[in-house]
Amino acid sequence: MASIDRLAQTSPWRTLPLAEKALLALGLLLLALVLPPWPGGAIVLAVAAATAIGLAGIPAAQWLAIFAAPFGFVLTGAATLALGWDSGGFRFLPDGAVAALAMVLRSAAAVSSLLLLSLTTPATDFVRGAQRLGLPPELAETALATYGFLFILQDTATAMHASQAARLGYDGPGRALRSLGGLAAALLPRAFERARRLETGLAARGFDGRLRVLAAARTISPIRVSAILATLASVAGTGLWAAWR
Amino acid sequence: MHIMEGFLPIGHAAAWTAIAAPFVVTGARRLARQLRDRPQDRLPLAAAGAFVFVLSALKLPSVTGSCSHPTGTGFGALAFGPPTMAALGTVVLLFQALLLAHGGLTTLGANVVSMAVAGPWTSWAVYRLATGLRAPQGLSVFLAACLGDLATYTVTSLQLALAFPAASGGVAAAFLKFAGIFALTQVPLAIAEGLLTVVMVNALEARGMAALSGKLTEVRP
Repeated sequence: MASIDRLAQTSPWRTLPLAEKALLALGLLLLALVLPPWPGGAIVLAVAAATAIGLAGIPAAQWLAIFAAPFGFVLTGAATLALGWDSGGFRFLPDGAVAALAMVLRSAAAVSSLLLLSLTTPATDFVRGAQRLGLPPELAETALATYGFLFILQDTATAMHASQAARLGYDGPGRALRSLGGLAAALLPRAFERARRLETGLAARGFDGRLRVLAAARTISPIRVSAILATLASVAGTGLWAAWR
Repeated sequence: MHIMEGFLPIGHAAAWTAIAAPFVVTGARRLARQLRDRPQDRLPLAAAGAFVFVLSALKLPSVTGSCSHPTGTGFGALAFGPPTMAALGTVVLLFQALLLAHGGLTTLGANVVSMAVAGPWTSWAVYRLATGLRAPQGLSVFLAACLGDLATYTVTSLQLALAFPAASGGVAAAFLKFAGIFALTQVPLAIAEGLLTVVMVNALEARGMAALSGKLTEVRP
């Protein structure tokens, strides 16, 4: 969690308009879903990864490390497509490997497109963007406060877990279950107590439900938008041409 | 039981988003109304959302010896109520997609239906039914969390079966296949999550918190 957020906060693309980044990443995501997995998915995967590493400045090793986790889930999910089930139990389908490989390509392309967006745009920018698109301010502020609490509670939970582990709290499934229950039961009151103290402090400063912050004006560049549209058109054209050739 | 980004065909992704929308909009409106009436609930609600996120990131020991994560849907439904969980769960799933690359944007609707709607409502209904039948509280909480977890996995199996029907046997055969494969890991996990939720609820009640009120964010702890 912290690694994606840290890369997004420090990305050279952090200051680019959200609309431009969303156009590129969501455009690639859409193409990943609608183009034939081979070669369309492979092209989307290559373009999204190359853009993130080559243009957006995400270190290749970190991109690979972050990509590996969801890719592992993609592999295990795709493996289920290779299996069939009948009265004799599970068996490998004749065309199962092809279906699984197509799914791996499509899903890996989609994940890399999502990463292009999430590694260059902090989650708070998404919420602000959603607010501009009509998300009620009460919900936007709650989502932003949730984002803030995530890191505090995660740190607290990690410290509690280390403390319990040092006292052999995770020695065996029974103890582990009791320790986890105790951890969660101790974490929730702390979360509420922290929220109450924060609320009191903000109320004393005239908090009316909105935290107004100055946002830097980010002008959409017609040149960048044209380049993004040309990239998407090239990916779509190449993917379709190669599939029909 | 997140469905990963890109896993569903675009038509299915859109359809599940449309199915999730009324539940999320209703939950969001209810939250917005609650926040207008009780602005002091804003930060406890945010803390509750973050808590569900962290809860779902805890490593849960499984009966089979493997390790996975609780869904948190059963506890969330009992403590915060199913409509609140639809909205909070959507925020949590969105942050999981953006901050962990777990789940996705195109599969957000499908994941919301299984984990923020079907799971919490099943847990809530099972808890109501069990307490109505005068079952002991511990058993009611266990059944609610365990069956809520199983409901999420059943709905996910159905979503995948509809997207990838079997060549022979169609959706029904595919559903049995996916449910059979996931049962190997999800049934032990559901039991573990049921036990974890009982331990959590007991510990919270010992601290004087109304962990089964369905309105924990509205009650001053």
